Amino acid sequence: MNNQLGLGVFAAELHERLLWFTRLRWWAIVGLLAGAWLGPLIGFPPEWSRLAAVAAFSLAANLYFRSSLARRGDQPRAFGALQRSALLQMCTDLAALLVAVHITGGLESPLTVFFVFHMAIGTIMIAAELMYLIALGTSWCILCLLIMEAKGLVAHHAIDPGGSMSGRVSGLSMLALTAALFGTVYLTDSVARRFRRRTVQLHERTIELDQKKAALEDACDTMKRLEERKSKFMLLSAHQLRSPLGTVRTSLDVLAEGYVDPGSERGRRLIEGSVERVDGLLAIVNDLLELAKLREGAKRAPWAPRVNVAQLVVDVTDALTTVAEARGITLEANADPVAVLEWGIPPDLVFAIENLIQNAIKYSRSGGRVSVDLTVSDGVARLAVADQGIGIPADFVSTLFTEFARAQNARRHTAEGTGLGLAIVQEVVAAHHGAVSVVSHENVGSTFTVTLPLARRESPVTTV
Amino acid sequence: MAARNVLLVDDDPIFREAVTAVLETRYRVRTASNGAEALAAVAQELPDIVILDVMMDHLSEGFDVARELRTGDATRGVRIVMLTGVDQVYNMRMEIEESWVPYDRYLEKPVAPAKLLATIDELLA
Repeated sequence: MNNQLGLGVFAAELHERLLWFTRLRWWAIVGLLAGAWLGPLIGFPPEWSRLAAVAAFSLAANLYFRSSLARRGDQPRAFGALQRSALLQMCTDLAALLVAVHITGGLESPLTVFFVFHMAIGTIMIAAELMYLIALGTSWCILCLLIMEAKGLVAHHAIDPGGSMSGRVSGLSMLALTAALFGTVYLTDSVARRFRRRTVQLHERTIELDQKKAALEDACDTMKRLEERKSKFMLLSAHQLRSPLGTVRTSLDVLAEGYVDPGSERGRRLIEGSVERVDGLLAIVNDLLELAKLREGAKRAPWAPRVNVAQLVVDVTDALTTVAEARGITLEANADPVAVLEWGIPPDLVFAIENLIQNAIKYSRSGGRVSVDLTVSDGVARLAVADQGIGIPADFVSTLFTEFARAQNARRHTAEGTGLGLAIVQEVVAAHHGAVSVVSHENVGSTFTVTLPLARRESPVTTV
Repeated sequence: MAARNVLLVDDDPIFREAVTAVLETRYRVRTASNGAEALAAVAQELPDIVILDVMMDHLSEGFDVARELRTGDATRGVRIVMLTGVDQVYNMRMEIEESWVPYDRYLEKPVAPAKLLATIDELLA
């Protein structure tokens, strides 16, 4: 913890205590004045009127203390200055008390109890080492006073020279003792209360910090995982590009260096194959861009109100019917016309629907059937694309939606496919607060299901 | 001396075609498109050298074939050249390649035809 800040807290507290100490001193002055005035009236020695001088001294001192504390109020961090002020107040008080005790009977004085009270106050405000010295000094001063009184160097003002005042002396002693008792309890209580409060605060703060620490560690872990995923993805992307590039480069080398005649059958195959690889590379790059745009969020096709998913499904299905027929596959679509999204990004939805149906066609065998069903229930549009194709190996389903994931049987079935389509579908669906899932059996077929809530909870402008 | 017998294993038919055109100038070339085919071809006739891609049907297929060749009594002497688009650092990092390296040379795609021929000649010398 910052030391300066810590001292600031202590200084503010000490400042407050010193103010309280000066307020308390008004009562001591009132008491001294009362003693000076009432003491001789009710039969105590006439020297008691000298207490008024002690009161005047204390009054002047207290006025000075108050004004200096008011100045310090602007700079509560001046801890050293406040400690010096506390020490000065303590010494002034003890000197005044010593004189008052001398006036009111020396060791017999009922005021001696206030020495104890001052030690308690002092220990709260002043460094303990100093307080031991002050306690020692105070006892020495009292001892000196006693010796000087005994030797007759100073006058001993007996509290009850006539011996007729024992009742009043006891009463006065009781009064002083009671005041000191309550003062001490009040003082100790206020300190203890503050400690207890601080302990509770500290405990709460510790719990709070622990929670924050855990949250930060979580966030850090997530970042680390994302970072790892990102670099893994980049490596994977680079490699996905390098393999076909290697083929193209090698084909060109072979043709350029005369290993193969470009006009020959083999040369023609190499050129056509290279063109295919370049097209594949372009498709990968396009899909990577698509994915990057989706992950970046926003700044792409705008959100549109009232998006008719049924119409999109019908449009996509119509467009793909010829593709399916060319492969001897029957494509059927049933779309509930109520499937209208409050907000959606039509081009993205088209991409996702197209991708799922294209996959279904791609991984079907000739003579197979692909069915597309769009239904609405409980405010959710449910698009199911089912095929009777090669299916997905059970151990592959979990990684299906990650980038460049292509199952062994899928690679064997067809060379085309960037391995990015389903990752894009997932991003699109997630942006629409939906979910995508798959049920598949190898050699039986797969059914991809996309659910899209019709109503959006937030404005599409603020959340993408 | 009879022409040396080279087995080229890669899952990309165009790549096989292009590299075959180069290798045919000096060696007798057979091809395989995955690990299983490669092992079958080796069983049929022991090649002098095998050129292996790494990632085929699965990530470490080429390394699996190389290990298989190195552990077989008959195939232990076959020279192995890895020819792949995947770099070594990546293999190590993804734990695709083990610390025990069973190949003779590691070439990254694309490799210039002259360099490929030189590498093979050096291994067969």
